[in-house]
Amino acid sequence: MKLELRGITKRFGSLTANNNVNLVVNPGEIHCLLGENGAGKSTLMNILYGLITPDEGQILIDDEVVTIVDPKDAVNHGIGMVHQHFMLIPVFSIADNVILGSEPLKPWPVIDYKAATSRLIELANEYDFEIDDPQATVEDLPIGAQQRVEILKALSHEASVLILDEPTAVLTPQETDAFMVILRSLKASGKSIIFITHKLREVLAIADVITVMRLGEVVGVTTPKETDERGLAAMMVGRDVNFVVEKLPASIGDVVLKVENLYVEDSRGLTSVKDVSFEVRAGEILAVAGVQGNGQTELVEALTGMRHPSSGHVTLNGVDLAGESVRRFLNAGVGHVPEDRQRYGLIPSLSISDNLVLDQLDDPRFRRRFGRDLKAIKANGIQKRESFDIRSQSEESPVGALSGGNQQKVVMARELSRELKVLICSQPTRGLDVGSIEFMHRQIVDIRDSGVAVIIVSSELDEVVALGDRIAVLYDGEIQDIVPPTASREDLGLLMAGAGKAKVNA
Amino acid sequence: MSTEAREVVTLETLRVVTRKRSLAYGITLMALGLVEILWYGGADSKLHTTIQFGYNTATIWPVVAELWRVVLLIAGLAIITVALRAKEIASLERLGRFFESVRGARGIAVIIGAYLVIWPVLLWLGINQHGQLRTMTVDVAFTGYVFGIASIVVGAIMAWKRFDRRASGMLYSGLLVFLLGFLIWVARGSLDLQLTGILASAVAVSTFLMLGSLSGTLCERSGVVNIAIEGQFIAGALASIVFASAFHGSGVSLTFALVFAGLFGAFFGWILAIMALRYGANQIIVGVVIVAFCTAMSQFLSTQVLNTHQNLNGSYGLPVWAIPWLSHIPLVGPVLFDQNVLVFIAFAAVIIANFALFRTRWGLRVRSVGEKPIASETVGINVVHVRYGAVILGGFIAGVGGAGFTLGPGSPFTYGMTAGYGYIALAIMIFGRWRPYGALMASLLFGFTIALSANLNLYLSQLVIPQQFITALPYLITIAVVSGLVGRIRPPAADGVPFQRH
Repeated sequence: MKLELRGITKRFGSLTANNNVNLVVNPGEIHCLLGENGAGKSTLMNILYGLITPDEGQILIDDEVVTIVDPKDAVNHGIGMVHQHFMLIPVFSIADNVILGSEPLKPWPVIDYKAATSRLIELANEYDFEIDDPQATVEDLPIGAQQRVEILKALSHEASVLILDEPTAVLTPQETDAFMVILRSLKASGKSIIFITHKLREVLAIADVITVMRLGEVVGVTTPKETDERGLAAMMVGRDVNFVVEKLPASIGDVVLKVENLYVEDSRGLTSVKDVSFEVRAGEILAVAGVQGNGQTELVEALTGMRHPSSGHVTLNGVDLAGESVRRFLNAGVGHVPEDRQRYGLIPSLSISDNLVLDQLDDPRFRRRFGRDLKAIKANGIQKRESFDIRSQSEESPVGALSGGNQQKVVMARELSRELKVLICSQPTRGLDVGSIEFMHRQIVDIRDSGVAVIIVSSELDEVVALGDRIAVLYDGEIQDIVPPTASREDLGLLMAGAGKAKVNA
Repeated sequence: MSTEAREVVTLETLRVVTRKRSLAYGITLMALGLVEILWYGGADSKLHTTIQFGYNTATIWPVVAELWRVVLLIAGLAIITVALRAKEIASLERLGRFFESVRGARGIAVIIGAYLVIWPVLLWLGINQHGQLRTMTVDVAFTGYVFGIASIVVGAIMAWKRFDRRASGMLYSGLLVFLLGFLIWVARGSLDLQLTGILASAVAVSTFLMLGSLSGTLCERSGVVNIAIEGQFIAGALASIVFASAFHGSGVSLTFALVFAGLFGAFFGWILAIMALRYGANQIIVGVVIVAFCTAMSQFLSTQVLNTHQNLNGSYGLPVWAIPWLSHIPLVGPVLFDQNVLVFIAFAAVIIANFALFRTRWGLRVRSVGEKPIASETVGINVVHVRYGAVILGGFIAGVGGAGFTLGPGSPFTYGMTAGYGYIALAIMIFGRWRPYGALMASLLFGFTIALSANLNLYLSQLVIPQQFITALPYLITIAVVSGLVGRIRPPAADGVPFQRH
């Protein structure tokens, strides 16, 4: 099936999300759609899938114009979509999730589960997916398996074009490899695939055709043979991008933060950080790598006082802070850039100025008699907005209205405005565009060079390798190994999958 | 990307929580049992209570011959054996698979079998009078010990085993055992204990709780909080009695009054649906406003209109059906099978709703829009339509339930007669874990406490506890349930969350 989008334009208020976008996907082709966050990829795909109605433009299937106003139309035209956030119902079984919307019936209202199950197994066999138990509840499955259920769901609707929205964002390197195999087998069976991503490496590995979008427009169509990572990045961003984080060798000082035999329980009462010990010295960056959900969140929360460890020590400059309040941690000189900035880093409805002093309201600089010194807070806002290049209408704009990159700058600006001993950044560049990533990386390296101990926690392997002076790999709550950044990606991938030190070295 | 799944409550979380709480329930039950033993187990052993089993004329049972009893006993034992062992007997393989696959079938079969075994045994023990099973006289001290120890045993099992899924069922049975002992103690001495009467009125009372909580279950399964059940009760109660009065003698069946009540309930369901689904209003506020409107309207109508037109507010009871044969079973017969039509409708509604929710396409879609509407939307389900349907149907069911207040006991409408049961129905829905069968069981328990508190007034002179406390019992249980004594249960994920298309 040939799919063509012609002259698609979509505006949201003053923002043009898609401007006269053209896209042709030929049968049996893996077509990568590449672009930064906010480039309009998702809008375009949601238009194709009937979730958003375009202002202008046409969708053609096999050279005939079709109208797609809701997902049902898209499904009927053989378009299937695997969303970045899976559209699965967590408490339903695999079978229920796959048949939802096109349930086989025996006498009219009753679902024919026998037919559903046999169809599911048939489909799974056809594409070599492993489905152990069609009655298993989806939320109990690992992410990779959930993704396969999502793909099966699309295939069961007889999709001939599959849209995959950032499918590898949630996978380990090994799972990603397995996923690429699936993609090739889908392609071999004649399905067309639209693969949305911003990971250049994957694009070059798998794409037949690459369409690059920037600011709502298509800026180029190319193939892996004609280009390389640098070329793609330049197209994506519109200028040359410096991939390498420039940093001098670390000038390492004394041990600042010492973590010993730390055990932390998660909200469910399950131990998610197990016997973790490490040291961070002044002037170095310790990068904690690992697939999300392996205890990073709980580790960071324990290191910042947000969660009390069940046992172990967190010693900062000789003082054991384990189990102390967040306030004690802050006063002791811990800076924290949380992984969920909208939830723990900022109050979206408050202004930039207010967010910049949230943790310093008892600081004499910002106090006046019984209240806040509004003038000082405003002046601080103006100054920080200037020096951190926070792009907004004014320092009084609500933080919730800013882009992710600018929000992260606000968090960073606030944390750096205190006297720090150690800075802990969790997923510092998640969801940021290339320009903001560069800025954040620069900040992190600068603070390291000023003699602060830095911990960054990231599930992006590239970032970990680029920033870390040492890399600790966390798997299932345990530190598998601490390796230098020169370790190979394969070894890191194996550690992230829990292979352990012994196997890597064997 | 930013709101990751870290705060999501998984089933596993809840099991951990419930397991911890199981210990607390167990200890509570054990304490209750101990109180029972100490308080009246050791009471004056000369005190007796006579329990009455049948206001219904159980005509076939007195003539049961010894042989027939043997037949019953063997039949009961056979049923139990088959239910438990069918898997191991080659010739009964199909039956075995049936008991394996259908959840609860085995338990029900065992209960029926045990029931068949118990009666011949009781008759042989000679506790009956005149060869009939009309009354049974028991020793208060003896029952105090028996039920007290039973409560302690149930409590100990709960505390020891730390059940997760079975915790609330165990709590039910433990509380029931305790209440039964309490009842026998209260009725000691002079008056007979009208056991069938209490149980039958419990079932009658639980019908509107059943229908109300079923309404809540349907709505919340689709993601809309229906707090307006109380209002729909009032509307149904008023509409049905006015309809019945107006058409009295014209040959129109009273059953149509039920439909009329349902339509009124559905109307208020529709209002809730429009406000919540089209205008995205806060569902709880809309629900409360509907209740306030219905309450005020009913007061206005009853003082201004029905007072002057009393022929519009008569006393008409629904027809009572005694199911042949089944209604003659001792105890169970008059309690379950000799009731007004609405009782049968309520039971049927629960069974149908359970099947519809968990076996049909409609049910799968209703549950999907209540869990994750955006996922339903992406497979072409019209979320808003499904929710409209569920909320209006829920309103209809609650309206029919409202008719139970007037047509059930056959009394005219009085202002305030729904007495907050619409809210109790919501608590029952939670207690029943958003499942129709759960709602059924919880309704029966609540119905029992309501009937109990009503009947205990008969024995007021024997009560140490103030009457007001007994009257408050159903509400106290509600508070306990809602405040989490029974463990947190996971509601539908999108419950109460408005759905907006892009």
